[in-house]
Amino acid sequence: MRWIYHLIIAFLTIHLLVYMLGEKKLTAKIGAGLVLVLFLLRLFLIK
Amino acid sequence: MNRHTILKAANALLLAGVLSVTWFAGRAFHRMHVNDPIYPAPGLTEKILLSRYHSALRSGPADTEIYLFSGKEKGGRLLVLGGTHPNEPAGFLAAVLMVENLQVEKGDVWIIPRANRSGFTHNDPQEASPQRFVLTTAKGDRSFRFGSRLTNPVHQWPDPILHINPAGQVLSGSDSRNLNRAYPGKKEGVLTERTAFAIMELIRTEGIDLALDLHEAAPEYPVINAMVFHENSAELAAVALMDLQLQNMDFRLEESPPSLRGLSHREWGDHSEAASILLESANVSHGRLKGKTSASLIVEGRDKNYVRAAARGLLFVPFDEAGIPLKERVARHLAAVRSLTAGLGDMHPDREIILHRFPSPELVREKGAEACLAPPNQR
Amino acid sequence: MPDYLIFLSMVGLFALLAMLFKIPIGLSLALSAVAGSILGGHGIALRHLIEGSFGYFDTILIIFCAMIFMKGLEASGILDGITSSLLTTFHRRKAGLLLTLMFLLMFPGMITGSSTAAVLSTGALVAPVLLKLGMSRVRTAALIAMGAILGMIAPPVNILVMIMGAGVDMPYIGLTLPLLILTIPLAVLFSLILGYRHIHTVGAEELRSILPSSPRRTQGLRTAVPPLLVFGWLLGQAAFPRLIPDIGIPAVFLLGSLGCLVCGGKFNPFKVTQDAVRDSMPILAILAGVGMFIQIMTLTGGRGWTVMSFLSLPPALLYLGIAVSMPLFGAVSAYGSASILGVPFILALISKNAVFTSSALSAVASLGDLMPPTALAGMFAAQVVGEPNYFKVLKLCLLPALMLLAAGIGLMLLAGPLDKII
Repeated sequence: MRWIYHLIIAFLTIHLLVYMLGEKKLTAKIGAGLVLVLFLLRLFLIK
Repeated sequence: MNRHTILKAANALLLAGVLSVTWFAGRAFHRMHVNDPIYPAPGLTEKILLSRYHSALRSGPADTEIYLFSGKEKGGRLLVLGGTHPNEPAGFLAAVLMVENLQVEKGDVWIIPRANRSGFTHNDPQEASPQRFVLTTAKGDRSFRFGSRLTNPVHQWPDPILHINPAGQVLSGSDSRNLNRAYPGKKEGVLTERTAFAIMELIRTEGIDLALDLHEAAPEYPVINAMVFHENSAELAAVALMDLQLQNMDFRLEESPPSLRGLSHREWGDHSEAASILLESANVSHGRLKGKTSASLIVEGRDKNYVRAAARGLLFVPFDEAGIPLKERVARHLAAVRSLTAGLGDMHPDREIILHRFPSPELVREKGAEACLAPPNQR
Repeated sequence: MPDYLIFLSMVGLFALLAMLFKIPIGLSLALSAVAGSILGGHGIALRHLIEGSFGYFDTILIIFCAMIFMKGLEASGILDGITSSLLTTFHRRKAGLLLTLMFLLMFPGMITGSSTAAVLSTGALVAPVLLKLGMSRVRTAALIAMGAILGMIAPPVNILVMIMGAGVDMPYIGLTLPLLILTIPLAVLFSLILGYRHIHTVGAEELRSILPSSPRRTQGLRTAVPPLLVFGWLLGQAAFPRLIPDIGIPAVFLLGSLGCLVCGGKFNPFKVTQDAVRDSMPILAILAGVGMFIQIMTLTGGRGWTVMSFLSLPPALLYLGIAVSMPLFGAVSAYGSASILGVPFILALISKNAVFTSSALSAVASLGDLMPPTALAGMFAAQVVGEPNYFKVLKLCLLPALMLLAAGIGLMLLAGPLDKII
């Protein structure tokens, strides 16, 4: 089961990253950055 | 500079920010994954890993150390669990003190200081717990992690919507990571259920006579300063209570409610021959009324909100400016373990356990747990 | 600095940033959390800030995946197909329609305990039907939000009660009846009060003209597959846990989204996901910010001060304190409110039957999902109907919300006598 969630998180991380870099509004970018930190941490802390 | 360049620069800056926050926060989280050293007393017979009782746990995050102390003479068999909930440090520390001091003359003693090993590797979000607290021994500082009530989601995830525990009780999803709701465990279950299964196997295969689970609870919680006993050990609890009262330590006796399933005091007793008892001391640091959160809140146990709450009759323990320090809480656990063990021998002479160099509750109460801790970095 | 001063400075700074400088709410919360951390003498407590946000990680995942599902339903034309079927079946029967829609709205909340899941799944299905029958956008959103909130309280799954139960060692047994007493009469009332006078029945002629005319409208049994997959799975894992594995709400929604891809009209999945990210980003940032805010509030003693202030109210004012504080604290999260305030309140009312008290408190706490700045239910409902100003939706929710509050407090007051009857 956990691997499904690894995939889901990886998938969403990529989308977040794409959104963050593509978005024009600075505040929205930073908001996405905040959320992205959580996804990156979960992605890489999973052993 | 055109818009495009500005956007590019902003992106680069933001990405650098995100990565560095991830890096530094990640490093802080990672530090929690290193076990603090425990220095067993020379009387140790064997250090065992929990996976001996359920191989599926081998070298995983739940494979915790069990310290076995065997006497020269056959006698009773005692199991002591600390760290079922790693945010209840008095239970963990009482177990550590036993491991670092004990010598057993008669009978066998199994001690698991970090019953939920994974729970020690993180903190509960939004509780703002400190990651560690420090006790200063005569020869230097000993630092211990203050963990979470639950298994780390990094090790067991995702939580189900509803959790039906091995005893059939319906609980909220996050309780699937609560070791003390997971008994009697499940061989093929999730990590926490497997851990519970392994502990249950230990109790059964080693023929444990007395199994103790050391906990803490918030002062506003009714089951506090309590000895929760399975009906199979009512008499033992009563005998031990009398002994403890003679030492000026009062405990509330609570019979394990049959409707509350999955807890150690219920399922250990139902699924084995062991007399099963859970002990609670009062810890302000995971209460909901706590003021500023810090490591000294854990160690000193002083909090002005709780003083106010006591004055308004909201608490189930007396509480004043002096607080309820860690040394007091650890001493209570140690005294209870001592009295219950003695009570077992009095009631069943064939199950007598003779403990030497038992960490003195009186000394701990007066001088703190540090008085009985081994010095750090000892090889 | 005293605990309450740090907390009040955090709140003040947040208001200043959000209202005066119009900085997005999520960012304002994060910034005031950082300020609180500095004022409390912790510098920028990075570990605490991030750890706080992790408290909502599961919620963030649910929102993300539910949003992808919703966008998938839209893009594949399946939503239009379902709207057509519902309209064709019910266009002559007002009461029948409203009650059916209310049940649909409540259903996902009943089996997941999450109002967000309800708004973003069946809320999205129900909205076009109501709009086509002449209900205003704001009113449609209000009905969706209230239905989702009732669903969150209604049995079999009420996470709020479970959270409180875990704090006081109360098993999750015997709650079906009190939760039904709380929710069913209100569900009927809300759908009629909010809906009956505001939709009109249509004849066959008019029906044809209002049916979605999108060329990509997907029709037939295939349209039923994705929603059935989602709701069937959620129901199945609750009803037959041995047969259908519990894969978590996020995975179920993603499964439904895959269903849209297979069964619906063609669409670009990457664009759908990006749309979902864009639309959910403000609320995700708010959740991350709220998590930081609470963690720093706890760290610096503000949380304890708040809880203590409400618990210290004289007994006569205790119920008033509950009625005010639980929805208010729910502004940051209804679940948080249940845990932080619900548990001490149950303990303060320990002489009463905990099953009734916790059911009642869950109704009060659920209103947190209507409380700005997060107002999860209100905000998503506004988004589902395309209403830019969610405050208009919240205003219309006020009366039903007060009714729900009254029902909750009433049940609490009657807990004693009811205990003897049931």
